[in-house]
Amino acid sequence: MNTGPSLNTGPSLNSGLSLRTGLSLRTGLPWTVLRLHRAALIVWGAFLLAALGTLVWQVEVTADSVREGMSACARTGGLCRRQAVIHYGGGISWASTLVYYSFFAVAAFAGGALVGRELENGTAELAWTQSVSPTSWLAAKLAVPALLLVAGGTVFVLVFRWAWAADRDLMGDDWTFNDVFAARGPALVAYGLCGLGVGALAGVVLRRSLPAVGVACAGMYVVNHNLEEHRGDLWPTAANGLHPESHYWPMHLVETGVVLGVAVVATGAAFFVLRRRTG
Amino acid sequence: MNRDGEGTALEAVGLGKRYRRRRGPVLQDCSFHLPAGRICALVGPNGTGKSTLLALAAGLIRPTEGTLKVLGTTPARARERFAYVAQAKPLPPQLTVAATLRLGAELNRARWDREAAERIAYGPVYANPYADPYGEESGSAYGDMHGEAAADPVPGVGPGVGPNLVPGVVREGGLHPRDRIRSLSGGQRTRVALALAFGKRPELMLLDEPMADLDPLARRELLGALLGEAAEHGTTIVMSSHVVAELEGVCDHLFLMGGGRIRLGGDPEQLLAAHTLLTGPARDLSGHTVVESHGTGRQLTALIRTDGPNSPPTDGWETAAPSLEELLLAHLRNPEAPDLFTEETGGTGTADMTDVTDVTDVTGEENARP
Amino acid sequence: MTTLLASTRPAPVRVPGAALGLARSVVRLHRSALWFWLLLMVALAATMLWAYGPGYGTASADVQDQCRRDIEACHFPGGPWLSRYSTAVALTTLVVAFLPLLVAAWAGAALVGRELENGTAHLAWTQSVSPARWLAAKLAVPALLVSVGTALLIPLHRLMWDGGENLLWTDWFDAYGFRSNGTVAVAYALCGLAVGVLAGLVTGRTLPALGVAVAVMFAITHLGDQYRPSMWPTVTVTGAASLSLPDKALQLDRGVITDEGVRIGNNMACTTADSSVADLRSCLAHNDLADVWATYHPQSHFWPLQLTETGIVLAVAALAATASFVLLRRRTAASGAAV
Repeated sequence: MNTGPSLNTGPSLNSGLSLRTGLSLRTGLPWTVLRLHRAALIVWGAFLLAALGTLVWQVEVTADSVREGMSACARTGGLCRRQAVIHYGGGISWASTLVYYSFFAVAAFAGGALVGRELENGTAELAWTQSVSPTSWLAAKLAVPALLLVAGGTVFVLVFRWAWAADRDLMGDDWTFNDVFAARGPALVAYGLCGLGVGALAGVVLRRSLPAVGVACAGMYVVNHNLEEHRGDLWPTAANGLHPESHYWPMHLVETGVVLGVAVVATGAAFFVLRRRTG
Repeated sequence: MNRDGEGTALEAVGLGKRYRRRRGPVLQDCSFHLPAGRICALVGPNGTGKSTLLALAAGLIRPTEGTLKVLGTTPARARERFAYVAQAKPLPPQLTVAATLRLGAELNRARWDREAAERIAYGPVYANPYADPYGEESGSAYGDMHGEAAADPVPGVGPGVGPNLVPGVVREGGLHPRDRIRSLSGGQRTRVALALAFGKRPELMLLDEPMADLDPLARRELLGALLGEAAEHGTTIVMSSHVVAELEGVCDHLFLMGGGRIRLGGDPEQLLAAHTLLTGPARDLSGHTVVESHGTGRQLTALIRTDGPNSPPTDGWETAAPSLEELLLAHLRNPEAPDLFTEETGGTGTADMTDVTDVTDVTGEENARP
Repeated sequence: MTTLLASTRPAPVRVPGAALGLARSVVRLHRSALWFWLLLMVALAATMLWAYGPGYGTASADVQDQCRRDIEACHFPGGPWLSRYSTAVALTTLVVAFLPLLVAAWAGAALVGRELENGTAHLAWTQSVSPARWLAAKLAVPALLVSVGTALLIPLHRLMWDGGENLLWTDWFDAYGFRSNGTVAVAYALCGLAVGVLAGLVTGRTLPALGVAVAVMFAITHLGDQYRPSMWPTVTVTGAASLSLPDKALQLDRGVITDEGVRIGNNMACTTADSSVADLRSCLAHNDLADVWATYHPQSHFWPLQLTETGIVLAVAALAATASFVLLRRRTAASGAAV
């Protein structure tokens, strides 16, 4: 007896089904993405926590001891001061540098583990025949990490802004340093999302994990390097031909916009390529 | 019920598929029709496009020409209603078996049948999903899996009191929920892949070489499960194989692939009935559709069609019914033999034989040569 | 079965040319990597030669021209040609300095990790190649290509680096420059290969091997930069000599000796005294100090430092390679015993 779902091919059922697949949250896709990439999630979480911990530690603990040390060599200054700056500022700039350039790791992850490997070994097709269309599959694959990147990146930016401003006299950098420039605002998050998009595009196009890792990282290098080179051109300079610090936000937001633009174009292209290839 | 021609599982018209990096098309002008509710064997030599056809039906790739309807609609729209098991049985290597089944449940929330999936993966001992044959030690892992699946416990059926429970006895080859996919053998991976297919409770199962890695016992078990599924739910099953013998007697529909299209299609018994093996003195067989003939001196052995207008010659000839294997091999050896489809018409349930040669002639195909 | 055990026994028959066949198969398997490597070498060599010759020439002429026209430009040289030239120098130095990471990533992921993951390593081990010889070929062939490639880049990089002294103020002790200017470049590249292979064997999977190999190599190169000054005895001078260190010296520390004879490091007292002995004396007397001192590496320490670091890094590479062999032998012997 046919007790199971019958072969009803009527239009009413079809429209109901397409409505349901459209809402990816109602399927367990987010769970699937998190479970499949649990190791990456743990590594990323530990990395972010370590970076945040370093910032808090430097400001709350190291700063005081550095001040004590500096008062001992107050009479001479010079090299003594520089050592203190290296000791204190080093930890903070390590944290911002590593988190800022982690978009390379994001691009490698997206091109390799997230998309490329799944297309390479056929597990993507497994999902596509488990009631998930390729489009919603890619959407979930990008949405879940994007959400985490936005959340984690926002927290880092806020903590870094606080840590960077806390003891300016103990630090030798300024707002124009590459990592400082990016990590004090949304550009940091934008770079992460751009890495995700570029990685996904590389993975979808190449369908192999290792070439996708290489191409995604190279692509991100091109984007990032050119922007770092031309940061000064992103906003008209003041009359003296230089950028005062008040230009930080306009320059930063223009760069954020450019990076987000690249992210959107890459993500759109990834969807386009995937849709064209599958039924 | 579906036997009455209520639905069509697969319908292809002029289907063609060409890969960019490969010379010549894999599929070319392939047209066929598979009624719902059949257990269909897709046979043919290696490299004739069986996997391509199944991947097209599963909506994983796009045809370069023609159309393929699945369950009356496009593959993308039918996605929730069919299951597909790829030849390589790809599964995420880092997951456990339990997590893989959970993945199936998450991706098919609307129609997941956990019991069916676990029965295939873990063997009959797990038929009761709340039974834990591993006792306290593994209880946490197994419970973990249920916790993930957010199972609502059935009152009165606590752990360890399931009716099918035989403590400490696991069928050989059965899997443990905590096993990692990475550590499984080929056959065990096939079990998990099939479990995902069964758990979906599909109307159509597309299985690419499902038997290849299975031992004889597991094959029998799988065939039993497939037959049960088909009988109970009217599920259509299409499975490819290059070994004819393993599907004989199980399927009630057969597609023989060759030359990028389906060359024989229909009920195997009707296909056999449409052919006769002749042995006798050499003579002119024009007027008959000869699939294959080879002679030694004056003797001639020929496989001819008996569905044409001319009845088979009986004078001085020995006639015999060919075996399925003989029939398929004869067609494979002779690519020019015309295609033959036995097709169901209307809702009467009786089969008429229709030689589609005339139809394909109209499309300019050159497969009508005797 | 015997192939699995072969690593623990001497190979019964040595077919002449078998090693060549194995090497050829390694090259064939990784042909795209080989092409990439060759292209990278050619691109780097071409860029460095350009920077050394026409790049430097045009930039320096341009800067002089600007200086002649505007005195301000003498102090802040700029212009498109200098920018192009400095980009070429910086970029090639960056690539050469980080080649070991690239090699490690490739070795961990493509050379070993992927082969173990998809089982093609087992295919090789059942093609009359013992696992140990398979690993030896996997190490030897890339090691040869990596060594030759990097060794050819070093003199070119030195030419470019030393040539840029006037325009770019390149230092011999600059971390990236140091890693690109001598034998340590080859050592780090080989270390990257060995670390990558070990990471591939340990994880047995492509992408984790890539991550681990890059992270470990990043740490190793960073430690090298950090502890480089300690790899050769430093020179310490006192008195007026400490106020005028030799040209291009890498100053590490300077300090004072008090009247009580206590040596205080990290102290800049009296360094502002001009180097006349009398001026220094009066400053010391004024501050109750006996003497001032400075510790540094003169430029002549470049090669001793290079060679010591090369030795240490090569030792790390050898350690990683040995660990790979031990690991593989233990694993395959265990599976051989189980059969």
